[in-house]
Amino acid sequence: MSSSSTAVRELQRDLENKANDLSKLQKDIAKNHQVRKKYTIQLGENELVLKELDLLNEDANVYKLIGPVLVKQDLAEANANVRKRIEYISAELKRLDASLQDLEEKQYSKREAILKVQQRIQSHQAGKAKA
Amino acid sequence: MASSRGGGQQVMRMGDMEKMSLEQLKAVKEQADVDVNLLQDSLNNIRTATARLRLLHSSTTFLRQGKKMLVPLTASLYVPGTLDDADKVLVDIGTGYFVEKTMAEGKDYCERKINLLKSNFDQLVEVASKKKTLADEAGVILQAKLKQLSPSN
Repeated sequence: MSSSSTAVRELQRDLENKANDLSKLQKDIAKNHQVRKKYTIQLGENELVLKELDLLNEDANVYKLIGPVLVKQDLAEANANVRKRIEYISAELKRLDASLQDLEEKQYSKREAILKVQQRIQSHQAGKAKA
Repeated sequence: MASSRGGGQQVMRMGDMEKMSLEQLKAVKEQADVDVNLLQDSLNNIRTATARLRLLHSSTTFLRQGKKMLVPLTASLYVPGTLDDADKVLVDIGTGYFVEKTMAEGKDYCERKINLLKSNFDQLVEVASKKKTLADEAGVILQAKLKQLSPSN
């Protein structure tokens, strides 16, 4: 009798730990969504800039805002910079996608594990009620 | 819940919603309402951006050399000045890049941006109205189910 109640207590502790893990995973997923939104917006803006730069003449004057001052920049250099940034952001988005998938798989398996523990607790309690 | 955002719900049909439980329906309705609000916000943002571009576009027509104006030094202090160079404008194209353009090119830039925003706006309106009908349908079915349940209680 007492051994079964300690087992239930053990399971409940286990359940609590798993629930904490799950909420942590969910927080991570929400964070991932937020960061991804930020990067997507930046990617869109950079693509607009690149389109605009592509439309310019070779001899157009391009300036970059650095702090409060406008610094003159080569069109080719600006173009390369924007391209590099788009590359970086795309890579970052891909990385975020991979980690999101990983997190969602983890979340799913955690849920399964929690369900199993809950079932075991229930069967323990049902057995106790019978006894 | 977070993972169910996006595509999945758009393929939902009336028949599917009839079969859903009350909780599911409620969730669908709430999600659709949230989406509708988000889209409405985006539409408003596009509207204000277009208005600003229109203003810029019209201001390119009356900027002439020697034009007298008041230049803001702070939000409440303006000093008189005259426009020295009316051919060249500096256009902010985003992410900190500025490009020197002639007045005509600047005007062209405004027109292009307005057209881009307009096409985005039209696309968004379509998505928003679809979402709205989905939300309304979910609301109607939810009401009907609640009515069905209440007399038996």
